[in-house]
Amino acid sequence: MMMQHGKAKAARSNGKKTESAPHEAPAQGIWSGTVSFSLVAIPVRLVKLVEPGRISLHLLHAKDFSPLERAMFCPEEEKIVPQEEIIRGFEIEPGKHVLITGEELESVSPERSRTIEITEFIDIKEVDALYYDHPYFLVPLKGGEKSYRLLAEAMHRTARAGVAKFVLDDREYLVVIMSRDGALAVSTLHYSDEILPENALAPAAEASEENVIKKTIQGMMTGFTPEKYSNDRREKLLSIINKKVKKRAEVEAPEPEEEEAAEGVADLMSALEKSMRATKKGT
Amino acid sequence: MASTLWIGNIQFGGISVPVKLHAAVSQDRVQFHLLHKTDRVRLRQQMICKLDKAPVPAGEQVKGFQVDERKYVLIDAEELEQAEPEASRTIDVHEFVKTGEIDPVFVEHVYYLEPDASQKAYGALAAALKDMDAQGVCTWVMRKRAYFGALQSAGHALRLNVLRYTDEIVQANSLGLESFELSEKEVGIGCELIQKLTVHFEPGKYGNEHQKKLRDMIEKKAHGQKIALFTPKHLKPTEPGTLLDALEKSLKGAA
Repeated sequence: MMMQHGKAKAARSNGKKTESAPHEAPAQGIWSGTVSFSLVAIPVRLVKLVEPGRISLHLLHAKDFSPLERAMFCPEEEKIVPQEEIIRGFEIEPGKHVLITGEELESVSPERSRTIEITEFIDIKEVDALYYDHPYFLVPLKGGEKSYRLLAEAMHRTARAGVAKFVLDDREYLVVIMSRDGALAVSTLHYSDEILPENALAPAAEASEENVIKKTIQGMMTGFTPEKYSNDRREKLLSIINKKVKKRAEVEAPEPEEEEAAEGVADLMSALEKSMRATKKGT
Repeated sequence: MASTLWIGNIQFGGISVPVKLHAAVSQDRVQFHLLHKTDRVRLRQQMICKLDKAPVPAGEQVKGFQVDERKYVLIDAEELEQAEPEASRTIDVHEFVKTGEIDPVFVEHVYYLEPDASQKAYGALAAALKDMDAQGVCTWVMRKRAYFGALQSAGHALRLNVLRYTDEIVQANSLGLESFELSEKEVGIGCELIQKLTVHFEPGKYGNEHQKKLRDMIEKKAHGQKIALFTPKHLKPTEPGTLLDALEKSLKGAA
C-alpha cells in the first residue's frame, strides 16, 4: 500500500507552529523528518523509487478539451470542497461519524510521526520478498549529507539494513532502511499478521514428476535480465500516438484562468485521490 | 480460504500446471471517510473541468496524450483496445533464475497459487523450485493487463510475485546526490555500531500497536472524552562536524 501522502499534507497544513524548519519540506516530497540510529540524526525527505507506467493519458472535457482534475465534492452543497474544509471521520454506525483532527492523529504516536528511529539492523536477505510493500528513496536535507552518506556506506559494507517503525498520517509503518547504489532507500513492510498462511493451499508433494521438471528447469536456468521484459501496451499506445502526431491530429485546450492559484489544490487533490485508491487496493 | 481471484495455467517446456490465484496479504486497518467540516457530509471524488470548475460526468470525458502545452492527441476507446494485450489464461515461464537474483524492489504484489486440477505436477514443481532454489520468470495477461512476474515455492505451495517493469524503477543516480568524503575512522565506527545492533529478522515481534491506540482514541472520542494532544518528537540533526563524536558516543552506549 502506498503511503497516504495527500492526507499527510492535510495534517501538516493544520497550522501547527511546533514543526521545525517547515520551509525545508519541498513541495514534491511525500514526507520529511529525521532518520536516526543511536545518537546520529539525519534530516531527510521521502521521494519516489518507483514510477508506474510512463505513458499517462489525461482526462479531458469532451466539449472543449479542457483538462479535468480530481477534486473532493460535497454532494449536498454541490460544490468543490477546499482542503481546509476536509476532515476525517470514523464511521461508528451508518451515516454517523466520529471526527478526528490532524492534531489528534499526530498525538496517537507523537514519537514516531517525524522520526524514523532505527533500533536494530538485520541481514536484508532474511526478509522474504513477501513482506515488501512499497519502496521509496530517502534524500538528505541540508546539513544531513554527510551522516546520510555515512549510514549508506556503513550499511553497504556490512550488508545490513535498518529496521524501524514510523507513523505517517493515520498509519504506522514497519520499514527497512537499505543502502542502494550509494543512496538510502526505505521500504514499507507488511506486518506478519497480514501475511496469510500458505499451508492450506497445497498438500505435500508427490515426487513422481519432479525429475522431469527439474531437468526442464535446469535447461532453462539463466541470469535475471528484467530489461528483456517490457510493457507492450505502452509501446503499442506510443505507436498509435506517434501515427496521430504525424497526421497532426491534435486538439488544443482553452487557456486556463488563474493557473497559479489552482495548482496547489490540484496537486493535493490528485495526491488524495491516489491515497484513496491505495486504500481501496489494500482492502 | 480466501476467494479465487483468477484461474490460469503455468506453462514451460511442455509442462502444464493449472492454478488458481489467491491473495497472500490481507490488511485490516482503520479506515476513515473524508467529510465536509461544515456539514459532515461524506465527500465524493469528482472529475472537475479546470475551466468550468464543475463536475464532468463520465460520458463527457475523453482521453488525450499530452504532446505540448495545452496540446493533446485524443485516444479513443477503440485505440485503447488495440493496445490491450490478447486475452489468455497462460502463465508463460520463459526462464529460471536463482532466487537471490531478483532485487526485492521489483516485487509489487504477491499471490499464492492453489492447484486447480493436477495436484501432481503442482507439487512436483513446488518441490523442484524449492530444491533448486530457483524462480521462474514469467509473463501473463490478467484482466486486460500484461504482467511480468516470478514464480517461486512457498512451503509446499507455489507463489507468484508480480514484478515491476525495469523502466518503472527510479535509479539512485537520478537523485542528484553529491558525493561526500568520509574518513575511514567514521565509516569504521559506523560499521562496528551496525554490527553491534544487528539481530535476526523476526517479523512476528513487530506488532501494529498504533492501530490499537488509534481505535482506543476513536472510542474515547465517541464517548465524548477529551483527547490529550501531544507534539511530535523532532530530533536535532547531527552536525557534520560532530558526527565522529556522535558515532563514538553511540558505540560506547551500544557496548
